[in-house]
Amino acid sequence: MSTAALHADEHHADHHHKESFISKYVFSMDHKMISKQFLITGIIMGTVGLIMSLLFRLQLAWPDEQFSFMETLLGKWAVDGKLDPNFYMGLVTIHGTIMVFYVLTAGLSGTFSNLLIPLQVGARDMASPFMNMLSYWFFFLSSVTLLISVFIETGPASGGWTVYPPLSALEKAMPGSGLGMTLWLSAIALFIISSLLGGINYISTVLNMRTKGMSMNRMPLTIWAFFFTAILGVLSFPVLLGAALFLIFDRSFGTSFYLSDIYLEGVGALENIGGSPVLYQHLFWFLGHPEVYIILMPALGITSEVISCNARKPIFGYTAMVISLLGISFLSFIVWGHHMFITGMNPFLGSVFMILTLIIAVPSAVKAFNYLTTLWKGNLRFTPAMLFSIGLVSFFISGGLTGIYLGNAALDIQLHDSYFVVAHFHLVMGSAAIFGMFAGIYHWFPKMYGRMLNNTLGYFHFWLTFISAYLVFFPMHFMGLAGVPRRYYQFTLVKEFDVWMDVNVLMTVGALIGGFAQLFFLYNFFYSIFRGKKATQNPWNSNSLEWSAPVERIHGNWPGEIPTVYRGPYEYSRPDRELDYFPQYEQDESAPEVLKTEKSKTSPAEKEEAESSVFFAAIKKVFGLS
Amino acid sequence: MRLDTLRVILNSISKNAMIMAATLLTPVIALAADVIEPPKEQSLANWDWVTILTWVLGLLVILVIARAFDIGALTEKITGKKVVSWNNVNAWIAIIFLIAGLAGVWYELVYHGKYLMLGNSASAHGDTYDSMFYWTFGFTFFVFVVTEVLLFYFMFKYRYDEKRKAHYYFHNNNLEIIWTVVPSIVLTFLVLRGFTTWSKITGELDKESEEIEVFAYQFGWKARYAGDDNILGYHNVNFISGTNPLGIAETNAVAELVTELEGEIAKLEGLQETEGDSIKAWSTRWDRMKSTGLYRTYPEDYKTLDEKLHDGLSGAYGRQLEKDIKRKKTAIRRIAEYQKDKDFFNGSANDDKVTTEIVLVKNKPYVFKFRARDVIHSAYMPDFRVQMNCVPGMPTQFAFTPTMTTAEARDVKGNNEYDYYLFCNKICGAAHYNMKIKVTVVESEAEYNTWYASQAPFVAPTTAETSEPAEEQVAPSADSTQIVIDNQVAINK
Ligand code: HEM
Ligand SMILES: [Cu+2]
Ligand SMILES: [Cu+2]
Repeated sequence: MSTAALHADEHHADHHHKESFISKYVFSMDHKMISKQFLITGIIMGTVGLIMSLLFRLQLAWPDEQFSFMETLLGKWAVDGKLDPNFYMGLVTIHGTIMVFYVLTAGLSGTFSNLLIPLQVGARDMASPFMNMLSYWFFFLSSVTLLISVFIETGPASGGWTVYPPLSALEKAMPGSGLGMTLWLSAIALFIISSLLGGINYISTVLNMRTKGMSMNRMPLTIWAFFFTAILGVLSFPVLLGAALFLIFDRSFGTSFYLSDIYLEGVGALENIGGSPVLYQHLFWFLGHPEVYIILMPALGITSEVISCNARKPIFGYTAMVISLLGISFLSFIVWGHHMFITGMNPFLGSVFMILTLIIAVPSAVKAFNYLTTLWKGNLRFTPAMLFSIGLVSFFISGGLTGIYLGNAALDIQLHDSYFVVAHFHLVMGSAAIFGMFAGIYHWFPKMYGRMLNNTLGYFHFWLTFISAYLVFFPMHFMGLAGVPRRYYQFTLVKEFDVWMDVNVLMTVGALIGGFAQLFFLYNFFYSIFRGKKATQNPWNSNSLEWSAPVERIHGNWPGEIPTVYRGPYEYSRPDRELDYFPQYEQDESAPEVLKTEKSKTSPAEKEEAESSVFFAAIKKVFGLS
Repeated sequence: MRLDTLRVILNSISKNAMIMAATLLTPVIALAADVIEPPKEQSLANWDWVTILTWVLGLLVILVIARAFDIGALTEKITGKKVVSWNNVNAWIAIIFLIAGLAGVWYELVYHGKYLMLGNSASAHGDTYDSMFYWTFGFTFFVFVVTEVLLFYFMFKYRYDEKRKAHYYFHNNNLEIIWTVVPSIVLTFLVLRGFTTWSKITGELDKESEEIEVFAYQFGWKARYAGDDNILGYHNVNFISGTNPLGIAETNAVAELVTELEGEIAKLEGLQETEGDSIKAWSTRWDRMKSTGLYRTYPEDYKTLDEKLHDGLSGAYGRQLEKDIKRKKTAIRRIAEYQKDKDFFNGSANDDKVTTEIVLVKNKPYVFKFRARDVIHSAYMPDFRVQMNCVPGMPTQFAFTPTMTTAEARDVKGNNEYDYYLFCNKICGAAHYNMKIKVTVVESEAEYNTWYASQAPFVAPTTAETSEPAEEQVAPSADSTQIVIDNQVAINK
């Protein structure tokens, strides 16, 4: 047993006293409880973000109608039941911010990195439980700050989730750029702190606290994904913090990082000179692009695990999957310029970013093909988690392919900021990652609460959500291709856009169905926490280490010693075994014998291990591991 | 055992009865709601709380149905017989989804396909663009169909079967190399093609190109033509005024602005001197409103006064005055710097024409010079495959050649009211969605000249020429959107 684990054991021993409510449920330092805190906050934020999207989808479909309930709900922002254009922008902005940062970054990574890293690598808890607790509470403060900003008099930040200055820097340019923007910036600063505290913890836990036998090349792909995600976050979030600080200076202290040559109606020419709004965009997208992988990679990791387990089949090309993740992580730092092809930056720079961007498509394609091959000749158990994972693969393909258009500088001239972009990112980042999150929830709910979610409700939830997501986001491609700009409050003032009215109605109906479908989930989730069927220890007959821990979810995870790991996590349906799974932690003396006698049956897994060891040795070297 | 079965069935029946009752109740409640308040018109807009309640009830019904399936599962367990095999149901839904989905995609392509890339492009580089698009579309659409079909087919074909064991298949280097190399080749092709297309579009300017300045502001566009000398005069933000909305370097307009600014500074300094008195006056009025109860009668006035007094007492009012004065003084100082540079005011701006519509001649190369006054905007002309951000403090440009006149576009689209527009495509504030300017492409220089002559130059020529009679105006009349006019008025004020 490693020294870290030994230490954790001692630590564990003096924790047998009864915990108070506060230390158990509120300021908890147990990674499992923190993960649940992240999840529930994420679900609440997600519901808010969803309702916002329904409100503005109503506006887009029926721009001339008056919805009396909207006035009841929003007061002066919907006089006579018609959404105010400024507030529309505010809703879109907060919807985007919530979905990207609060649900799919903190809600997804925060939940599953916290839950799974210690359990799947075999650790008693995170490297620093205290920092872990701080990470949640910074996130909580941040969420509260963001929600408060919706209720202030001048309205929330409304310059889009990317908050480009000068629009976001000048209070006189837009009401939302006043106090609302200040709150947005504070919320994001808190969020970044939370994310850094979490990320450092994830990285150190993965590197230092693996149990005996859990070499890097035996880690489940979930862990690899969380690990790379954390690295991306730790390297890129500080840049956003810098960008936000400069913006704060420009807004409050009269600096000119982003401002130059501006004349404002009713104010006159401003003094600011020499700054560049494009500088902000460089800084923002230096985070912004890795951010989309921060969102997507954990979902891909979860999918790998769930698909392999429920196809009862090893994940195809484990090493290729890890290398793809590594490649995507690395490349994601040098492609940010594809968001800026038409900002007026040097066209040569555009060419460079185009080439780098399209290279990213290769590891992504490898991942998609490997998922397909994993399903091929599998024995697919349609648990809701499995369905959501398959849904993810579908979205990953259909949304990923449109990235090939947008990464092409030439094609981006027409497509930039059109509805095509909205279609693209909602499929590949929004829907895919949300589906990964749902897959994770359905799969690891028993690990979180010791009970099962109801499958039937899960099926309703899945099919309705899946159908509605395509219904909402697929037609947007066609609008975008025909040159319909995004972030438009309504389309009735431009005659040319009339032809899209019926499509807008269709998409809104789709969104309403999708919103409705989430009721199945919410009911199922909260009902099952208290009344769900009791779970068994390993309900999915899975191989990975977390299922060796007792259902009771004790502090320190395992009552006795931490189990030792003997093999990789994807040994499903081995021909030499009766059972169709072979847990990582199960010692089996007979197995190697069988393998020895039958020459042809040298486990391909072991062969792969040998082949890939060069790669893993290199990784270990990089991180200074012995 | 049998008793258990009976209980389950009874249970299920009673639950089902509940569902039926609830189902029946829903329309009854809806009906009652209508009787209480007859519907104005059947549309979503008439939702009120009762209708919402009905909906919520409807949802509950569905939840109950879902619970009933549970009962089914329980029955299965007890009787040992399968009632619903979700394994098969899911597999079949997958196939139905695949077929319906592909049909939907096909329908969309047929139905909305005619808008794909807006039909034919109206610019010279647009054709190169469209061919790039169709190559990409070809590849991606093929991959899309093949992979999605495989995905759902596998879902159907390999659904769970107790008797079968999955194929233990860990990896295959050859396969993996194939699907790394093949996408790489395809992408290399697309990148190279994209690279040439992009270079062609952004490359060398045609020397013959005519420059037109496109100026963006919250919330409208203006165009500036170079005039007879073919030179766009210099400009600077500090020159912007009511009479000079684009801030161009014209001696008199700028001198006028300086005088105006000096007047404003004097006024502000006056306010600064009487700051104490003003605050006292507000304070007195505030007290009066409070004591007489007038603050209840005029809540709006009271609120403004309250804010003013608050700013006054906290010093914010004084600081704001100081800031405004400083800002205006800086503006004057900067203008003075420019005024020293005689070359800056070389008169080339005098004959420039500022218009509220863009008129272009077919097959003539243009380069648009973009400028933004306040925040980032983006000039988007989808028909021409043109887009470029307009950034305050950073000039940008886009060169293109229109190849289809407005009249031709109307023919092609079969819509004799069709017009080209330049839209704003970067979020810029509340009226972003209505920030556009009409672009007209005419067949001949002559038509263009007639329109151009009807536009006033920035500085009126000293010898009054008789302008062309109005009847001869062939080009469409200026179609400035309301918001442009509003802004014009606001600026002039
Ligand atoms: C019911 C589900 C959803 C619906 C109906 C929906 C709809 C929309 C619509 C109509 C817009 C405005 C597009 C525009 O005018 O630019 C939008 C913006 C956006 N959505 Fe969603 N969305 C949903 C879920 C999500 C999810 C899951 C994500 C997670 C990534 C997401 C992220 C965003 C972002 C980042 C924006 C851009 C905000 C901005 O323009 O600043 N949405 N959404
Ligand atoms: Cu990106
Ligand atoms: Cu604009």
